[in-house]
Formats: sequence, C-alpha cells, structure tokens
Amino acid sequence: MSDSTQLERRYQRLLAFYPKAFRREHEQEMLAVLIAGAAEGQRRPSPEEAIDLVSNAILMRLWQTFTKLFVRPYEVRHRRLLWGFRIVFGLVLLGVAMFALSYGSWWALWFLAGAAADFVSATASTRSPKASLRRDA
Amino acid sequence: MQEATFLILTALAAGSQHGYGIITDVQQISERRVRLRARTLYTALERLRTDGLIEVDREEIVESRLRRYYRLTPTGAERLAEEADRMRSNAHVAMSRLEMSGGLATT
Repeated sequence: MSDSTQLERRYQRLLAFYPKAFRREHEQEMLAVLIAGAAEGQRRPSPEEAIDLVSNAILMRLWQTFTKLFVRPYEVRHRRLLWGFRIVFGLVLLGVAMFALSYGSWWALWFLAGAAADFVSATASTRSPKASLRRDA
Repeated sequence: MQEATFLILTALAAGSQHGYGIITDVQQISERRVRLRARTLYTALERLRTDGLIEVDREEIVESRLRRYYRLTPTGAERLAEEADRMRSNAHVAMSRLEMSGGLATT
C-alpha cells in the first residue's frame, strides 16, 4: 500500500467521527485538503491534527444533540400555539352551549358537539407533533 | 468578525477558490502568520454559507477528488467591506494617538 493511500485511510477514519450530514457535504473536500496539506511521504496524521479533528467532530455531534433536544422546530411551536387557541375556542363554545341550555334551547346540543369535536382535535394535534419529533430523532 | 473569517473572505474577494487554494492564499495574505487547519476552514465555510456570505461557485473532479470552488455573495462582499473599513478607522486612530504621544518618534 502506498504512503498516500495509507494516509488517506487514516484521515478517513478520523473524519468518520463527524455527523453524517456534515460528512455527506464536506468529507471528500476535506480529505482532499488534508492530503494536499500533508508533507511528502507522510504516512499518518500528526497527533495534534488527529485530536483537533476528533474533538471538533465530537463537539459538533454534542451541539447537534443539544439543538435536537431543546430547539423545537417551527411547526411544533406553531401547533402548540394552535392548541391554546383550540382550548380557548372550545371553552367559548362550551360557554355558549351552557347559556343556551339555561334557556332550554335544543340547539345547545350543536354547540356541545362542536366543543367536544374541538377538544378531541386539540389533543390529537398535540400528540402528533411529539410523534413526528420521535420519528426525526 | 474573527481574523480567520476575515482572511477567508479576503481570499475569496478577487474570485472563486477551492479549499486548499484558500489555505495557501490565507497564508500569503497574512504573511505566513495564519495557517488554517482543514477543520477550521470547513467549519468556517459551513457557517459562512449558512449565513449567506459565500456560496458554491462550481465543482470539479481533479485526480478523482471533488474540488468545490467558493465565491463571495453580494452580502459577503458588503460585510467584508464594512469590516475592512472598521479596521482601517481603528488602525488610523491607533496610529494618530501613538504619534500624539511620541510613541512613533523612532520609526
């Protein structure tokens, strides 16, 4: 095995620590730069270089995990907002139904049914974003 | 703006360059003072690209390796000009104050 392919393999092994998305985008390029920067006949990465690459890769992964856990995507926040509105809207419907019932009006049942449907869809919409988050993880 | 970022943008100011080209150019611009590591370069390029200061110009395959050329976006050029302007005015103040105190009398 020639020196350069050996060096390339060793660099590749270090780059394997990076997150998949970063590798897909930059691995080939970075490998080319690392090899272009190597000395003639160099067979292995220098220890500092290896530590630098691996620690950076680990930090990048940690950061990714952190953002995945604590930074909610826009859709989820939006659905949460919607959930608040649904609850309020449902309560208003319920209130109208109670008011109508106190007058003994039969159409109060329509409002009750509307409020029930609203609450059901509100709980469904809060369950689904969590499920989609789990799918992404 | 960090010096490495400033130097990378400066390296791209005259035209597009690929990764290793940027490293050698930055070395030249900084008079051999700054030697970028591959990972410093690529984390910086990634950030600059998401910030919209640079973009991919074109891709080539050289000796069966991917070579990606980057260039400044108009926003990137603007930011670099602002930064250079700010540095010039700071440097100007520094020099004039040194002159005032006589600190530059010997040079």
